[in-house]
Amino acid sequence: MKRSSPFAALVLVAVSGQVLAQETVLRYMSWDPAQLEIEGPAIEEFETAHNVTVETQALPPDDYWPRLSALAAAGDLPDVFAMSSGFVAEWAEAGNLANLGEQMEGVDLNAYYGAAIEAGMVDGEPYAFPQNWVAPVLYYNKDAFDAAGVDYPSDDWTWDDFLNAAKALTIDENGDGEPEQWGYYFYGRYAHTDGWIFRNGGRLINAEETALEPTQEAVNALEFLVGLVSEHTVAPQPQSLEGVRQQDVFPLGMAAMWVDGTWNIDNTRQVAGDSFAWGIAPIPMGPDATPETAVTYAWADMMSIAETSEQKDLAWQFIQHMVGEGRTPADFPGGKVPAYKAIAETESWLEEGLQPDNKGLILELGAQPTYTGFSKNWSAWRGYAAAGSGGMNGEIDEVLNGRKSLDEAIDAFVAYGNDVLSR
Amino acid sequence: MRKRPQISPTLLAVLFLAPSAIGLLVFRLGPIVWSFALSFYDWRIFDTPVWAGLDNYVHILNSPIAGRVFLNTLWFAMLYVPGSVGIALVLAVLLNNSLRSSAFFRGSFFLPYITSTVAVTLAWRWIFSTRFGLLNNLLKGLGWSDPPAWLADPAWALPSVAIVSIWKDCGFYMLLLLAGLQTVDPTFHEAAKIDGAGPLKRFWQITVPLISRSLFFVLILALVRSTQTFEITYALTGGGPNRASTTLAYYVYENAFVHFDMGYASALAYLLCIAVGLVTLVNFHFRRRWVHE
Repeated sequence: MKRSSPFAALVLVAVSGQVLAQETVLRYMSWDPAQLEIEGPAIEEFETAHNVTVETQALPPDDYWPRLSALAAAGDLPDVFAMSSGFVAEWAEAGNLANLGEQMEGVDLNAYYGAAIEAGMVDGEPYAFPQNWVAPVLYYNKDAFDAAGVDYPSDDWTWDDFLNAAKALTIDENGDGEPEQWGYYFYGRYAHTDGWIFRNGGRLINAEETALEPTQEAVNALEFLVGLVSEHTVAPQPQSLEGVRQQDVFPLGMAAMWVDGTWNIDNTRQVAGDSFAWGIAPIPMGPDATPETAVTYAWADMMSIAETSEQKDLAWQFIQHMVGEGRTPADFPGGKVPAYKAIAETESWLEEGLQPDNKGLILELGAQPTYTGFSKNWSAWRGYAAAGSGGMNGEIDEVLNGRKSLDEAIDAFVAYGNDVLSR
Repeated sequence: MRKRPQISPTLLAVLFLAPSAIGLLVFRLGPIVWSFALSFYDWRIFDTPVWAGLDNYVHILNSPIAGRVFLNTLWFAMLYVPGSVGIALVLAVLLNNSLRSSAFFRGSFFLPYITSTVAVTLAWRWIFSTRFGLLNNLLKGLGWSDPPAWLADPAWALPSVAIVSIWKDCGFYMLLLLAGLQTVDPTFHEAAKIDGAGPLKRFWQITVPLISRSLFFVLILALVRSTQTFEITYALTGGGPNRASTTLAYYVYENAFVHFDMGYASALAYLLCIAVGLVTLVNFHFRRRWVHE
């Protein structure tokens, strides 16, 4: 066998080194492995158009945030990364996010949902750009409504209408005191209860986001929800369904109504299959609210550029590609609404032939005033992810399970919340 | 012939030890020292650390939650240590024979220890499920009309975590105690038998004193492990309901990797370390009263 000469090897190394040196690499990190797979073709398209390599990494949220935080501590953040409405303020204040003001100057912001753009603003400056947004909605079982002879929820439904429907839909077939079908299902989870509070014009935290100060409207909303379990028995105590995944209760037909985020449309489709017809509706407006004060609970998933990135312009072009014209409605299946209106407001995104048959309702919600409810240390005081058994979540569950009064629970979660907010 | 260069035995020893020593230094001792320093800082991982003095410790002492978490840890240790060591001792004594079936049972009882914690905990979660769980349906079948919501009732959540932890670990402790039992000279038992000592008396007067060193080791191990429970809590109850099963190790994780409050989490970890250290010291103090050297 002929041996290659050392000179030829040196030339090869030098040439490949030259090629490597010329290659531009953009690093992108996301919290949604499934979504990253969907994004594959759009990323390839960007790579070809800009002659760059996009290095991607996706980790599920529980791993994503610790990893991203460690990278921030090491000064090694990827150029572009997914950013949550809940964390953008803290991350911007820590100096990790590039101010996008300059880049956004030439962008027609009217092409995007205003509330989603607003979610990336910190002290009036943009630090994240929205990719899609989500909102809690009222899921309802049409077959159960038909069987009970109840009209489907309408836009002008009151809380009394909701309660009457829930009573009619609570059915204990074998009379054992444990209904086979509950009218409604919820527990202290943020996506289950906070929409009711905000639709009643209530707030949990003060305007400065420095202390928990639940308003009377918020307390009234919580009282109404607690009454569904303790007084009207149209919803189960959460402990009775321990062991069933919360997102499966409605699709398994165990409750006829349920409030959760639009991102659960996918799971509901998968679990319920064709077993029953279902739709979605806005959370009814509360008796204490006016159309001006009854805001929609919604928030955006966004993309940010690292302050340490040395290729911010390229990173911005990537973001523009990934949130706008580089995408198709098929990239946003289920309940994630593209922030770019031209993709969202298409027949294709409405997914005709699939349930729910009124996805357009979500787009209407996006046009209304919205509120994210997020603050510093939100995950702690609200009780989220691995801390989901504590904070406000845990205290409300104690009330629903009949172990505490609502006043005691509010005192407890306010005390704990103010402790974590003061850190 | 050229003489090979000689490496001194000390250098050789250092070279062989280096991989483990460097790993230990970088990934264990370093973080231990570093986290002590961090406990005096206000540091969200993605932000710049800011000197906070004793603030984190003061916050913990004034926290409406931390006291409960400490008590939960104590309560868990009180359930787990006697439970796991007691059952392990009984199993070890029962299986300390040369019967063929004993090997099968030793393997069976040890099996939970080496299976994936999250996987078996998820199976336990189904068993404990309030309405559809195996356990409650069994209890209902036996006539208990309203069995507890094991994982959603504050009175039962922590004991449920303890039950799964004991089930998972007692096989390992059993193995350690079996090793101790194998060293007991059977002639002691035979002599006692001839003198008329019953099985219980022989157990307390001969077996326990002669395996006291193994027993002490297992006790310390169980005590330390009782303060480290995390995976089972994470997969079974998530620390709930309403903190009822949140122990210190879980609370440290929550503050470090959910709220990213590293300074606060480090301070909690050091308080845990001090508590475990104190209990271990007390154990060592009383050791000479019952452990036969």
